Amino acid sequence: MKKEGASAKTKFFKPQTRKSFITYAMVIVAFVVMQILSSGGYISSMLTGLLVPLCVYSILAVSLNLTVGILGELSLGQAGFMCVGAYTSAIFSIVTSETIENVWIRFPLAILIGGIIAAVFGILIGIPVLRLKGDYLAIVTLAFGEIIKNVFAALYLGYDSKGVHVSLKSLSNLNLEPDGKLILNGPQGISGTPNDSTFIIGAVMLLITLIIAYNFVYSRTGRAVMAIRDNVIAAESVGLNITKYKLVTFALTAFLAGCAGALYSHNFYTLQASKFDYNLSILILVFVVLGGIGSIRGSVIAAIVLVLLPEMLRSINSYRMLIYSIVLIVMMIITSNEKTKTFISANTAKFKALFKREKVKEAE
Amino acid sequence: MALLEVKNLGISFGGLRAVDEFSITIEKGQLYGLIGPNGAGKTTIFNMLTGVYKPTDGTIVLDGKNITGKNTIEINRAGIARTFQNIRLFKDMTVLDNVKVALHNHYKYSTFTGVFRLPRYFKLEKAMDAKALELLKVFELDDKASLLASGLPYGDQRKLEIARALATQPKLLLLDEPAAGMNPNETAELMDTIRFVRDNFDMTVLLIEHDMSLVSGICEKLSVLNFGQLLCEGKTAEVLKNPEVITAYLGE
Amino acid sequence: MGFLNNLINGISLGSIYAVIALGYTLVYGIAKMLNFAHGDVIMVGGYVIFTCMTTWGLNSWLSIVLAVIACTLLGIVIEKVAYKPLRQATSLAVLITAIGVSYFLQNIALLIFGEKPVNFTSVVNVPSIKLFDGQIVISGETSVAIIVSILIVVGLSLFINKTKSGRAMLAVSEDRGAAQLMGVNINRTISLTFAIGSGLAAIAGALLCSAYPTLQNTTGAMPGIKAFVAAVFGGIGSIPGAMIGGILIGVIEILGRAYISPQLADAIVFAVLILVLIIKPTGILGKKISEKV
Repeated sequence: MKKEGASAKTKFFKPQTRKSFITYAMVIVAFVVMQILSSGGYISSMLTGLLVPLCVYSILAVSLNLTVGILGELSLGQAGFMCVGAYTSAIFSIVTSETIENVWIRFPLAILIGGIIAAVFGILIGIPVLRLKGDYLAIVTLAFGEIIKNVFAALYLGYDSKGVHVSLKSLSNLNLEPDGKLILNGPQGISGTPNDSTFIIGAVMLLITLIIAYNFVYSRTGRAVMAIRDNVIAAESVGLNITKYKLVTFALTAFLAGCAGALYSHNFYTLQASKFDYNLSILILVFVVLGGIGSIRGSVIAAIVLVLLPEMLRSINSYRMLIYSIVLIVMMIITSNEKTKTFISANTAKFKALFKREKVKEAE
Repeated sequence: MALLEVKNLGISFGGLRAVDEFSITIEKGQLYGLIGPNGAGKTTIFNMLTGVYKPTDGTIVLDGKNITGKNTIEINRAGIARTFQNIRLFKDMTVLDNVKVALHNHYKYSTFTGVFRLPRYFKLEKAMDAKALELLKVFELDDKASLLASGLPYGDQRKLEIARALATQPKLLLLDEPAAGMNPNETAELMDTIRFVRDNFDMTVLLIEHDMSLVSGICEKLSVLNFGQLLCEGKTAEVLKNPEVITAYLGE
Repeated sequence: MGFLNNLINGISLGSIYAVIALGYTLVYGIAKMLNFAHGDVIMVGGYVIFTCMTTWGLNSWLSIVLAVIACTLLGIVIEKVAYKPLRQATSLAVLITAIGVSYFLQNIALLIFGEKPVNFTSVVNVPSIKLFDGQIVISGETSVAIIVSILIVVGLSLFINKTKSGRAMLAVSEDRGAAQLMGVNINRTISLTFAIGSGLAAIAGALLCSAYPTLQNTTGAMPGIKAFVAAVFGGIGSIPGAMIGGILIGVIEILGRAYISPQLADAIVFAVLILVLIIKPTGILGKKISEKV
């Protein structure tokens, strides 16, 4: 009897640690395999071009999962935070490309700046918005994302010997000197971002994101956030500050999305704000839902599979969103409907029991 | 000095006077029962005591500190914890985590410490695990610590709610129908547990209950509520003999 | 005069938003869900009319009637297949499903009609009105949009307050459980709500595509979201609120486009939503609901 209790105690922390380490290992193995394949020239240029975006989408999915899966609130503003990170980091890199020549200093700085400014946006947006619940929160975050996109698409920014020029109207309003440098050209977006993003940086960022996400979830803060998700009234009754933890999660999601944005913008020479519309936010949401709401590893796998699959199978590309939408509906009905839920849990229990029995037999 | 002193508490919802002129004094260490027919306003009083509702009038003083009109979080920190009539567990979290969440304000480390796994993280998590398991043991839930809260049988869920409330280290524990849905054996066991908690945790307990065997079995004093007003109060045995109380329960 | 013209255009666009917002507000009030796919039903209505008129050569009245029938059926089917199994689910799950339905409709339309926008022939053949020697022009589409939206609001208010089914809808929106105990058939009432909302979406589709005569698979998405903004602005669940909110949003959008920046018009509309939700989350004519402990 006593022995059993003790074994339960020691067993218990392992699953979460094991879970996270398996995920890290998967990412590292995938990275190494891809590196070997690409250095051997075994993968197509199309796939090589997808390596950085794969990291970007995985980071975005993991970060959104913190808000959707752990906090239990739907945010449709992921593209907006990504846009903030993409733009601010690109501006930083363009401006400092001559003063900070070392990429290994400049790019991490740019990523951090993109992430931090996105997090600041997240907090500024979160303070008024997080009082709202469910549908309202979703629509307001969508609105914020669209505002950010529209404002960046209308923004002209340049600098010359006289200083920095900003306009929301038109290029000519900028009054840039002939020697000046144009950074943001309204709807045409940014051009001249140094191509600092590489697969290795992307993979490292993904790994860091995963570590942050797992450590966040399995910490005092993560527990508080999940408690708020499960039952707000009970969470208040045990003395949790609801607003604070919602805001922390929201800011962390925005920070990681901003970092992903930085990785994204440094992968292209030019970039338009119109790329960051709410359809992108919804695509990320699709990754999160199909990977399993709350499952961090699932988000990564879903992002990678759902980006690669349509590229591999060109023939299904035109049906891609159609298939995603059907899967989205079916997944929700299966996982949320009481009847299907009990059916599934009953059968997984049976399945597990079967599995366990076999293990016992093996041990014998 | 009494632990809880409530004077002339009242609340109106629109035109409806749900609770009126309610007063109660609970001494430290007491097991106190709040009874009354359905709809008498018992849970409303709990909601006012815990800050879910703001009372329209009256004062609530806990351990010499006026907590009237404070919010739920402040009141929990001041020392009142509760359970809910309709169980409110963190159902997608483990039994252990349900208790660890409630230890939140007593074992503090920052989000940064957690995310970057600084030494303080490991030290405090270990302490929290030990504390949480110790609490779960009281309710014989320690061997179920790694299960999801939603997977517990009904009686265990009620017990877990009490364990969670205790983890916030309150001075006063409010139990809203702790025996609801339990069979006589479970109820008897629950009574032992509540007594154990009072004796070993130095706790004061105020409970709402319809199960008269539990009320007469463990409550030292009772207040009876009817139509939002205090009908009578006093020692349990005396109150239960009061003809007014019997009428209120059984009707004319 | 320029300002008056802009104002009239704003009211015209706002009337269309109002008709769409009515669909949102009905469904939100009764089924308690944000039907993200509502905007895409408008697009379906547009394509039905387009097919009837351009491909089959039917007249505009018949085309509109067919579109209303098609969208009504579509609304009922969507509710039965996608939303009904989720009555007890979290709002997160329902909203994700609704997003799924929205993308489903958009991509079905994409497969059938292709990516290229089609030119929509206006269903309105009312002459435009010229005032002040032609300085102010009120197009036929504008006057029809305004009149139709007023008729719909009046008709819908009468239906809800005077008929048995309408009062059943009111009862379900107040308290679903109690309504059920009083013998109201919840499933039928929610079905009816979706039917009416989607039928209105078809009319909105006719108005929208006549006023802005290009049609593609994403045509309904943005107007749908803006109409939801309008419904929230007016107070979700309120029929007159949807009308007021719709017109205000239309006017704000057109004036913003004309006087502030065409690039930022959408941003201004969304900023209004955020301000409303921060200052008065219940909107102009809405009421407050709180959770029972």
